[in-house]
Amino acid sequence: MSDLWYSLPPLLQDLLKLALLLLPGLLVGAIALRGYAPWPLTRAILTRFRWSAVMFVALIAISVGMGIGLLAQERGLRRGTAQAADKFDLVVAAPGSELSVLFAAVYLQPSDMALLSGEVYDEIARNEKVAVAAPLAFGDSYGTSPLIGTTEEFARYLSDDRIEGRMWAEHHETIAGAFVPLGIGDSFEPAHGIGDAAEDHAHEGEGLTVVGRMAPTGTPWDNALLVPVETVWEVHGLANGHAPEREEQIGPPFDPDYFPGTPAIVVHAEELWANYALRSEFTRDSETMAFFPGTVLANLYRVMGDVRQAMSVMALVTQVLVAASVLLGLFILSRLFRRQVALLRALGAPSRFVFAVVWSFGAVLLLAGAALGLLTGLGTAALLSQVVTVRTGILVTAPLGWAEIHFLAGFVSVTLILSLLPAALVLRQPVVDGLRA
Amino acid sequence: MSLSLSVNGLEVRSPRGRVLMSLPSLEVPGGALVGIRGPSGAGKSTLLYALAGLLEPVSGSVRWGDTELLAQSAGRRTAFRAANVGMIFQDFLLFEELDAPGNAGVTALFRPRAERAALRARAEAQLARLGLDDAQRSVASFSGGERQRVAIARAMAAQAPVLLADEPTASLDRAAADRLIDDLVALARETGTTLIAVSHDLHLIERMDRVLTISDGALTEDRSVAA
Repeated sequence: MSDLWYSLPPLLQDLLKLALLLLPGLLVGAIALRGYAPWPLTRAILTRFRWSAVMFVALIAISVGMGIGLLAQERGLRRGTAQAADKFDLVVAAPGSELSVLFAAVYLQPSDMALLSGEVYDEIARNEKVAVAAPLAFGDSYGTSPLIGTTEEFARYLSDDRIEGRMWAEHHETIAGAFVPLGIGDSFEPAHGIGDAAEDHAHEGEGLTVVGRMAPTGTPWDNALLVPVETVWEVHGLANGHAPEREEQIGPPFDPDYFPGTPAIVVHAEELWANYALRSEFTRDSETMAFFPGTVLANLYRVMGDVRQAMSVMALVTQVLVAASVLLGLFILSRLFRRQVALLRALGAPSRFVFAVVWSFGAVLLLAGAALGLLTGLGTAALLSQVVTVRTGILVTAPLGWAEIHFLAGFVSVTLILSLLPAALVLRQPVVDGLRA
Repeated sequence: MSLSLSVNGLEVRSPRGRVLMSLPSLEVPGGALVGIRGPSGAGKSTLLYALAGLLEPVSGSVRWGDTELLAQSAGRRTAFRAANVGMIFQDFLLFEELDAPGNAGVTALFRPRAERAALRARAEAQLARLGLDDAQRSVASFSGGERQRVAIARAMAAQAPVLLADEPTASLDRAAADRLIDDLVALARETGTTLIAVSHDLHLIERMDRVLTISDGALTEDRSVAA
């Protein structure tokens, strides 16, 4: 059976899952309404209690919207972070936390890291399997944009060589990420440090000029200023990676004797197998640590996946509690039209007809709330995506997915079934009490 | 078509067992117009609802034609009311958001599909008969008299052989009440409907064939009214 299921195309699986989730609710509706046309009375009751109905719909919409928004956002964030790490095949750093290095090197989150020596860099750069070996240097910034020292080769690789203007040709030239608020030709003095702790005038006289702009990459590097790695070392009073007689040189090869150290080296090999070989080669106890960012992310997602499952269960429980509250509200609301219900029963309306009227009243509220909740969820996800993108630089998009549609279908089905309860309870009220209410 | 009523040893109790209404015997021939009067709280409406099979707990016998109502299940009592009993209430009990035809034909919504069109047509005919043939607006805008006439049209559209009215004129001014009484009596007589009306309104009571007086949950007087 499971073989048959997994042999189906994913779209068909999703559609079948949707149908299965909706089926119980639809069956309940079909059975409750069979043979009757309660809509004129349902409409009349909805109109009579419109403000209460609007309040209920809004409550459901907010609850459903938050659930959908968070589900979509979590998926969008996962996709966005994975895409942001796409260009980082292999990262080599000093032994420590892979996650800290990942956050620093890929997502440009400041972190204290031990440095790799020039010998290590030289060994990596000379390895015949290595196509790109880019040292990274952090620590300075301009406004909210971190200043990253690296190589021309890596800047071109990262941006797929889509650079407006030109690549740097001198030590005090920079290329800007796509969203850095500086234009080509603008000059600035970098601050030492990042964020609130940055010292604005620590590098006075070390002006940099923007000579190019990278196309958007959907990564935090879109908010970064890239400079020759030599520049970062120089402004901190260190050797610039080259012997004095070659101090004007920009980019590799670097002289290990004049290499001040780098917290991370981004490595790219043309062949997939070569990446594995390099990881093995540069994973050395107490010397270097080599890892695939994708693997670290996968591990992170696995942990997050467990959390996500827990969150999904919590979200579902929350939805059920909300639904229960709504149903309790429906029951209270149905007390408002108990005279109409009593009248129908006094006039000889079968119990199932009265049941259909009360149930369809609840069903309309639930369906309207769910539909509005879908829109609210999309809006919430879009807003959260925008906030995360602005705050992290990671391009996050959270379109509606099957998970959200299934979530909504499950919610609708469960609540349509649960709303049988207030409808049944209404029938237990004495008719004469209702007539005299 | 009309239905006779035969009541024997009827007792209605409160949930705690106190006797609210006791009626040892009552015979009403089909097509008769019966008024029930008495002070407030005497048990008039209780008797009316017991005759409709709406009250529990109750004991004794309420026989409409050949049907012993109290021996029926709740579902069968409901079906009996749908087929045989029209009801009119003091405060009309209409669906305010529906128009007059919608209210007069409301029972069509739970009738078998094949009967719905005919019932709606009868509802419109009754509205026309009662001077409400152009009332395609929400009944919320109607006067009290108009509303009660819609309620009568609703009861008559079902062609029920029994009409139970609980203080039908109590919410109306004198002129509207008198017109309603004329309409109600005329319709009942035309169709041979058995009409049992609880009322304080002497104008209505005087138009009945027979008047029962209820006091403290018991029948204290049963008299015929001279034509």
